[in-house]
Amino acid sequence: MIRIAAVGDLHYGAGSKEILRPSLQHLQDRADVLLLAGDLTRCGGPEEVNVLADELRGLPIPVVAVLGNHDYNSDRQDEVRRVLEDARVRVLEGEAAAIDIDGVRIGIAGTKGFGGGFRGAHGSDFGEPEMKAFVGHTKVLSDRLERALTGLDADLRIALLHYSPIEATLEGERLEIYPFLGSYLLAEAVDNAGADLVLHGHAHHGAEKGRTPAGIPVRNVAQPVIRHAYNIYTLDAGRQVLPAAAGGIS
Amino acid sequence: MSEPRPDYLPEAIREKLIHDPRVAEQDLRVQVQEHRVMLGGNVASPQLKQRITEVAKELLPDYEVVNETTVVSASEPDSEEPVS
Repeated sequence: MIRIAAVGDLHYGAGSKEILRPSLQHLQDRADVLLLAGDLTRCGGPEEVNVLADELRGLPIPVVAVLGNHDYNSDRQDEVRRVLEDARVRVLEGEAAAIDIDGVRIGIAGTKGFGGGFRGAHGSDFGEPEMKAFVGHTKVLSDRLERALTGLDADLRIALLHYSPIEATLEGERLEIYPFLGSYLLAEAVDNAGADLVLHGHAHHGAEKGRTPAGIPVRNVAQPVIRHAYNIYTLDAGRQVLPAAAGGIS
Repeated sequence: MSEPRPDYLPEAIREKLIHDPRVAEQDLRVQVQEHRVMLGGNVASPQLKQRITEVAKELLPDYEVVNETTVVSASEPDSEEPVS
């Protein structure tokens, strides 16, 4: 049984020191990997992500993250990424990572994702350049997600997003803002490639649980939704697992 | 930029709370009744909740600010969920 700890929307700022740390102290006893679903900072400042990086540095289990829209707000997302990577957090954008845990290979494909809406009410990359850019961005990231997932050679595959791939985990949000909260194109990418679990954040007033149209479990792990430092999901790799220390990220 | 008309005041407050780096929260709910501003939603810490009140008061010093935002727990979960 593989134990996945996950949370998104931590929104760390200069005053966030020690918010998460007490709950991380025994994390290695409860989870094999920690996944962060974006919006790690308040405004995307390296000084903000430094506070979080200090809390994550030295964790004895692998940590994998995607960035969220807040992490792009200062146009310093590359610096945010570097700070996290210096703390041994693997940051994914249209990329995949594989982790060996007790003889089970876990593949994680990650992207921030973007908006557009859902089936029957999705924006089109048609008309003004701004509209083409908006929907075009979602298409590019969804295509990269599908390729990253498809390319994974793993026993279990997880899609790690910030924006939502489905409407069910947005229930509680105002319908008018659904197009800014996610896109069905992300779900289509996951359903085309296949996965065991999809994690996302971004929808603070949404619901935790849903499924893609093909039936893949989706969990909204935005911290205001799960109301804990993280949630833990267990996945059965369908094989005998051997006791061993947590592995590294390849 | 002119002063916002009363009909648009909640949006002006929401914009301020999104763009002020001391807060930067996109999901706060704002209502204005008479000279009272009511704020709702979830925040990560008591310190952030306090800053939200301060920023709203800076914007509207003549208004009463009722901050009913909820500080979300960052405790460990009690259990695990099997998903497969």
